[in-house]
Amino acid sequence: MADVARMPRARRAPPLLWTGLAGLAAALFALALLLRAPIPGDPATARALEQVVLWQSLLPRAAVALLAGAALGLAGALLQRVLRNPIADPSTLGIASGAQLALTLSAIYAPLLGGLVGAVPREMVALAGGLAAVTLVLALGWKRGLEPVTVALSGMTVSLIASALSAALVLSHGEYVMSLFIWGAGSLHQQGWGGAITLLWRLVLGGAAALLLLRPLTVLALDDASARSLGMAVHGARLLIIAVAVWLAASVTAEVGVIGFIGLAAPAFARLGGVRAPRAMLIAAPALGAILLWLTDGVVQVTAAGGADAIPTGAATGLLGGPLLLWLLPKLAVVERPGLAAPAARRLRRPLAGLALLVVALAAVAALALLLGPSYDGWSLATGDLLADLWPFRAPRVAAAAAAGALLGASGTLMQRLTGNPLAGPEVLGVSAGAGVGLAAVLLTVAAPSVAMMMGGSAVGALIALLLILAFAAATGFGPERLLLGGIAMGATGLAILSAVLALGDRRAFLLLGWMSGSTDRVDGAQSLAALAVAVLLIAPCLLLGRWLDILSLGGPVAGALGLPVTRTRLVLAAGAALMTAVATFFVGPLSLIGLIGPHLARLMGFARGAAQVLAAALISAALMVLADWLGRTVAFPYQIPVGLFAALVGGPYLVWLLRRGPAKGA
Amino acid sequence: MSARLSRRRLLAGLAAAALVPAAARAAAPAVRVATLDWALLETLLAIGVTPVAAAELVLYRQVVVEPELPAAVADLGLRGTPNYEALRLLRPDLIFGSNYTSWADPKLRLIAPVENISIYGPGARPYAAAEAATLAVGARTGRTGAAEALVAGARARLAALKARLAGGDGRPVLVINLGDDRHFRVFGADSMFGEVLERLGLANAWTAGTRYSATAPMGLEVLAQIGEAWIAVLPPVPAPARKMLAGGGFWHALPNVRAGRVVELAPVDPFGALPAGLRFARLLAEALPFAGKAGSLG
Repeated sequence: MADVARMPRARRAPPLLWTGLAGLAAALFALALLLRAPIPGDPATARALEQVVLWQSLLPRAAVALLAGAALGLAGALLQRVLRNPIADPSTLGIASGAQLALTLSAIYAPLLGGLVGAVPREMVALAGGLAAVTLVLALGWKRGLEPVTVALSGMTVSLIASALSAALVLSHGEYVMSLFIWGAGSLHQQGWGGAITLLWRLVLGGAAALLLLRPLTVLALDDASARSLGMAVHGARLLIIAVAVWLAASVTAEVGVIGFIGLAAPAFARLGGVRAPRAMLIAAPALGAILLWLTDGVVQVTAAGGADAIPTGAATGLLGGPLLLWLLPKLAVVERPGLAAPAARRLRRPLAGLALLVVALAAVAALALLLGPSYDGWSLATGDLLADLWPFRAPRVAAAAAAGALLGASGTLMQRLTGNPLAGPEVLGVSAGAGVGLAAVLLTVAAPSVAMMMGGSAVGALIALLLILAFAAATGFGPERLLLGGIAMGATGLAILSAVLALGDRRAFLLLGWMSGSTDRVDGAQSLAALAVAVLLIAPCLLLGRWLDILSLGGPVAGALGLPVTRTRLVLAAGAALMTAVATFFVGPLSLIGLIGPHLARLMGFARGAAQVLAAALISAALMVLADWLGRTVAFPYQIPVGLFAALVGGPYLVWLLRRGPAKGA
Repeated sequence: MSARLSRRRLLAGLAAAALVPAAARAAAPAVRVATLDWALLETLLAIGVTPVAAAELVLYRQVVVEPELPAAVADLGLRGTPNYEALRLLRPDLIFGSNYTSWADPKLRLIAPVENISIYGPGARPYAAAEAATLAVGARTGRTGAAEALVAGARARLAALKARLAGGDGRPVLVINLGDDRHFRVFGADSMFGEVLERLGLANAWTAGTRYSATAPMGLEVLAQIGEAWIAVLPPVPAPARKMLAGGGFWHALPNVRAGRVVELAPVDPFGALPAGLRFARLLAEALPFAGKAGSLG
């Protein structure tokens, strides 16, 4: 990992290509100018208005596209250099989502808090959110030396949490938040030069800071030890550069919303064109970012119908993200390493007794959720008739939560064993995002879909995503890192599609938001029994795979040397993990973090062997999910907090703590 | 039961005919009803039925505003995740839903019979659908007289307002929501607002298509195409949009804005029934300066 990436040696054609792309962007802009609808009314007024539209809307929009693209390109180049990670950018590090969440919070709560919050500029709010997100991501990845795959995983997880939180906030504030939909998918419409001027200043200042930090940047390309021996305050310089990059990205988010993956694409294309030196990169990446965003916005404008863009520009660039990541991944220098999962903190001498204890705990939590609950007259312990009354509503959701939790726990264990990465949760596999896209397709094509149709849609979506990920992983020999990154790429594409649908801002978007924040209460008795049956059917075979899991944790080469058919084993485990995730996602939404936390808890408790860890993680996760579901429906009675969201809120901080204090494995 | 009902029906009919909500509320409901749909909730209240429970009442009080909601109605939580347990404990006899809540039917049917009455949908004409929904809700709750009175009263009120607006300037009206300082959405002919405009004898300035009542968010520059229209801005107005209304360069270059043809209305539910339609008509007539001032607008 000494260098950023193994890029092909410089090829010389690209400058021509860039010029061509810039020309194309300009041509699209000219076309958009020509195609714009004529303004009716008397000629004098119309002519004056034409001028206003041209000077106050269309030209500033082009300027903002160029400036925002340049700022994102610069931010991406800085982040990639300082983290020595070719897939770092404001999207993959969660900066954009964090900034958006902060803006959502302030938009909703500013009216309540009055002048206090209202006086804080949007840019500062976005910066705070972006910094919080990137801090979280780096904290999660710290133990593993900020190694690229781990950082991308943490970034995706943080992005998911932030999106789910924003979704729940939007849901609970109903009609009031059209603008939140728009920001979620970055729209470049302008009505004056204010945005362009703001971004210009940020870009100039950020660029100047980057130039000042050029020497540290050059040194940072070396590894930490060499840099330190040259007298650099390595961490200080790194943090300064990261702060500049976050500020640039947060400013763009505050002005125009989330614009995905320009920061990833621009430096990648620059490297492809042979740009290597830091100074050249600081010029090439912003230039390419500007061209890319202008080009995308040109396409969006030319295809706009009747004033409404077919999809917001930010969602359009988001669609680039997936393919781009897939293309970059094979170039990533990844090292196969033995996983964290191998030695547990301590080892249970009698794992069977431990498992029995977990079964009792799960039963206790389930009993609590079934019997105790609030009503309009206060809390009550349901027995007899009351219990019979409430049973049809409580039992299915308890069962569904338990099944989903168990599936996520088992799936997370498989993923972490398979990849040797402590941050490999089922949520980042991309299957959930596929399920969301399938659901969106049903909502957009059917007027009043039933629960069964929505489930069918997400099943098909999840299946397609699963096949795509497996196909990609197969093409690259099922390396665990590739599998993870393929999943991340799929997830990024799925989220971009979802944000484009959400930008419609109509009632279908609200149904989709409901799924994104996770809800167990639509499940009926038969569906919950089916979920339990599927959980048993999918988890039971894992118990026979204990030896595979134990050996795989030693890393691919060792496992191969021990006679394990590594590729086939990985395929089976990955397919199993994905299936489990797909089923669980129906019930609790795309994110809960429980599939990430369950396996860690199982390991901390001393379940060291593969089969025992799978079972323990399934039981722990089931209990946690039932508990989260119960809390979600009781703490704000009669209002309900979505289970996935509640689990993420509790689980997120705990996860950070867990990973910070846990035994340092990996690098 | 029918004798008692007829007396109630008469009372309710009288009350609704007078459109005095307080009097309407005085009549106790014949059946214990609950609803997850706001349009049906306002219809129920307007014909004098106080449901035992309805969804998302905190936001209802901000967005729908009238008919005023009695404190006795229990809140079921968000419309997207209603609290079935709470509803079960309240033991309603009948639950009203719509195509927006039909996904919840299997669970609701465990509690009480569900009657789905939809007003909005692709290609629907919401005003006629709202009239039909009013009559259906009235028939189901034994308030046929009150429902008929509400339908007839709404027509009469709209006709009266139309006469008052007849001396207008002939300009069309554009009904919009502002998303932020750069985006808006507009309500088309297939929205409740569009249908009410038509009944008020006003042209809807938005003649292009929509996606379910309103368009997807558009850039503000589209407004340059519609310079001759009156612009009616519906709440909420987010903080950036508020700033834009005060000093945005592009906004203040628009001919309608320069000529003062912009009115800001109080909140109205864009997916409401007859009470919301009437509220919109009244607020618009109060806001448009050319409306005749004879009599009370209330």
